[in-house]
Amino acid sequence: MTLTLNVNGKPSTVTVSDGSMPLLWVLRDLLGLTGTKYGCGIEICGACTVLVDGQPEKSCDMDVSSAVGRRIVTIEGLSANSSHPAQVAWIANQVPQCGYCQSGMLMSVAGAMQAGHHGASIMGEVNNLCVCGTYPRIKAACSKL
Amino acid sequence: MNIPNPLNRPSMEQSSRRAFLGTATSGLTLAFFLPEVSRIDELNAAPVGTTVNAWLQIGADESITLTVGSSEMGQGSFSGLAQVLAEDLMVDYAKVQTVQGGPTLATIAPIGTSINTVGSSVIRTNFWKMRDAAAGAREMLVQAAMQLAGDAVRTNFTVANGVVAHKPDAKTWTYGALAAAASKLAMPASAPLVPDTQFRLIGKTMPRFDIPHKVNGSAVYGIDVRLPNMVYAVIKHAPSFGGTLAKAPAAPSGYMVIPTKVVAGTNRGLEAVGNVNAVAVVGPNTWDTWQRARSLNVTWNLPANAASLNTAQFLADAQALAKNATPYAAGAPNGPGTLYTVEGDATAANSAIAAAAKVVDATYSLPYVSHACMEVLNCTVDYVAGVKCEVWAPTQSAKAVLSLVATLMPALQPSQITVHTTYLGGGLGRKAEVDFVSQALQVAMVVGKPVKLMWPREEDFTHDQYRPMALVHARAGLTASGQVMGWSYRNISPSILAQRGVPLGPKGDSQGYEGSQDLPYAFGTGLTEYVTHPSQIPVGFWRSVGASINTFAVESMVDELAVAAGMDSYQFRRSLLTDPRWIAVLDAVATLSGWNSAAASGHFRGIAIGTAFNSIVAEVVEISNVTSTGFTVSKVSIAMDCYLAVNPGQIEAQLTGGMVHGLNAALYGKQTFVNGAAQAKNFSKSRMIRPSEMPQVAVTLVPNPTVSDRTKAIGGAGELGVPTLAPALANAYYRATKNRVRALPFFPNATMGD
Ligand code: FES
Ligand code: FES
Repeated sequence: MTLTLNVNGKPSTVTVSDGSMPLLWVLRDLLGLTGTKYGCGIEICGACTVLVDGQPEKSCDMDVSSAVGRRIVTIEGLSANSSHPAQVAWIANQVPQCGYCQSGMLMSVAGAMQAGHHGASIMGEVNNLCVCGTYPRIKAACSKL
Repeated sequence: MNIPNPLNRPSMEQSSRRAFLGTATSGLTLAFFLPEVSRIDELNAAPVGTTVNAWLQIGADESITLTVGSSEMGQGSFSGLAQVLAEDLMVDYAKVQTVQGGPTLATIAPIGTSINTVGSSVIRTNFWKMRDAAAGAREMLVQAAMQLAGDAVRTNFTVANGVVAHKPDAKTWTYGALAAAASKLAMPASAPLVPDTQFRLIGKTMPRFDIPHKVNGSAVYGIDVRLPNMVYAVIKHAPSFGGTLAKAPAAPSGYMVIPTKVVAGTNRGLEAVGNVNAVAVVGPNTWDTWQRARSLNVTWNLPANAASLNTAQFLADAQALAKNATPYAAGAPNGPGTLYTVEGDATAANSAIAAAAKVVDATYSLPYVSHACMEVLNCTVDYVAGVKCEVWAPTQSAKAVLSLVATLMPALQPSQITVHTTYLGGGLGRKAEVDFVSQALQVAMVVGKPVKLMWPREEDFTHDQYRPMALVHARAGLTASGQVMGWSYRNISPSILAQRGVPLGPKGDSQGYEGSQDLPYAFGTGLTEYVTHPSQIPVGFWRSVGASINTFAVESMVDELAVAAGMDSYQFRRSLLTDPRWIAVLDAVATLSGWNSAAASGHFRGIAIGTAFNSIVAEVVEISNVTSTGFTVSKVSIAMDCYLAVNPGQIEAQLTGGMVHGLNAALYGKQTFVNGAAQAKNFSKSRMIRPSEMPQVAVTLVPNPTVSDRTKAIGGAGELGVPTLAPALANAYYRATKNRVRALPFFPNATMGD
């Protein structure tokens, strides 16, 4: 079946065998937006986090059919040139190590900011896993947002 | 400035070789050798001499490019090398482009032939080589300027920021303008290095080059590689280690099912060469293919001894070997269960302990632990029979990938093989293995299209090469006044090296006893033994490996001795130490943690110290909210002496990350087995700490500032946060509860949901 999604402000048409393919794999394999990562596939790690209508959602467990008609923002669409305040803070605080979890981390932070959180209260909304243990720098970066 | 993502560049190897060799007149190219390190060969056995594996290129366009073969998995070593280079080349750090070199078998100009990224090695083994190469290049450029100026007096010239100035006539040349002339000169035998007092970069916290890619989704990890016409392969292994395919299943319509076997060099324990231990399902995208793999009905043969391949049996075997093991004998088969004497003498140690006023006897156990890199194992291959094989892999060992391709595809010429190292979403030692690469190669040889092979998280957890399990039996005797008279230590653990076909000498497996030999304490008469555990569950390198096992047992035991002696844990250790470096690190962590002032009410501290990769590290863990079901890890203080810190901020990040790795393992890390099948299949059964559970961290580096001295060994940082965490935590827990946790993890039944 052919579906039209709104990804990063643009309509994107994809053909899937059925509507149950998770949004994660549609983004990565069909649309080539590989910034969104697979970590666990079972809604635990948060590496796959994207914004859906402004809310952080784990794309590994969201059927693509249920994403139709909603505004999807991935890390590639967070800003045109890494200018989102969270991205700027991430560079300033040298947050990433391996970096694999950081797309999801940043999308969770961006979602919390959209919901009106700032500074220390952002961390209360971020539950993503980072195996590299970058949490202190994430906290430091968020504290100024 | 960036590390090019592999898809943003043409075949790096080919284009670079052309550039380096074909256009010598347009720039200066230096080829040099960075020592190769592998855990097996050990640093000292690294080959020296003629092989070229790193390139420095100074272009007529003022570009400065450093091509190296090591892998970037978050440790920041690319940027660290650039920092060292820029110092002695006397250029702006931001001008250095670092490029991921791929290895090649073509002999003409091998780039990045081999640097295995293991053993926390990249900076510590390359520091002086890099400085010498940079200084040599700088002096060649100055000589070119001397020829142009017609002035042979070196002191008439100065260098700053990539510009050579001739003082008498106030003339200047950029490196770009001198590069062509310099390329015709010989590299000087030695060149003066920038004095420590003039360091602009070494010892300073500098930003990493790779970070901008890692905040906008543009960093290409292995799993992100996409090629035109690519198909997707999803692996499905026999559930049990040692299991083999009974009958090839029928392929679902529109999909292929390709059996893959264990190839020589990737065999570990039960996974024997030739075993068809997996099938790869190949299809149009990851998800649909994965669903077919999940529902595929495959019949597997269990290994003959499947019933005994379980965690309880492994522990029972270890307990028996703690009492009774056959000593190593030169020339004997020395199979599993052999007792190796690492150092000391059993009779002397036993009689010293027997004569003591007090004896402490304790047995510690550690489980198998998975790696669980955030990026699952994966590999992409573009193979065209008789034409080429191009591999993209998140590998810590590009050279092993290269050898594997050459072995599996003998018809290809060396120049037809290219290996691209992508960014790694964590390596942790697991990505030094090439089993997943061998599967992708086998699939590529069948499908005749570019193929990306991935391991679902469940495969990644259940077909790991685990941090070995271990049982340690320790005994020590004290005088009535608390002096240690005798120390006896026996570690029973599966051998990583033996599973890799490395013959074990009279001391056994260096990975097995790492962290338990050459202890700095005044222990009287000591004995260290290592026994090879017979379990054939695959084991492998894991961030700090043996040091993480033995430091837990040694430093828990030392704490038990402190209690027996009625002394403070810090003061007791200090009284047993004589090496000033160890004492300085211990003092530093005590100061940092406020050890000498009382902890806040309800807070309890534990201390531990250890060594790995030439660095000495100590940690103090502080816990609070201690109840019968759990506690909060409030604060971890870390002090390290790595002799010289190139980028202190990055070292702090690595120590913190290593500490978290150690904390995850100490609290929750374990893999168990039933019938040879691993039971923890995802993070749900292998919990890790969340952001809200992160303790406060403080790091201090000693000595600081450092003096650079060629005769001193520079220590590693990447793995150093791990080993002392678990014992410091157990020691803090003892302070809080008077319960000694001797078996890790603390919470074996913990689970994690979303
Ligand atoms: S991949 Fe979606 S939560 Fe882990
Ligand atoms: S930076 Fe590596 S997992 Fe978070």
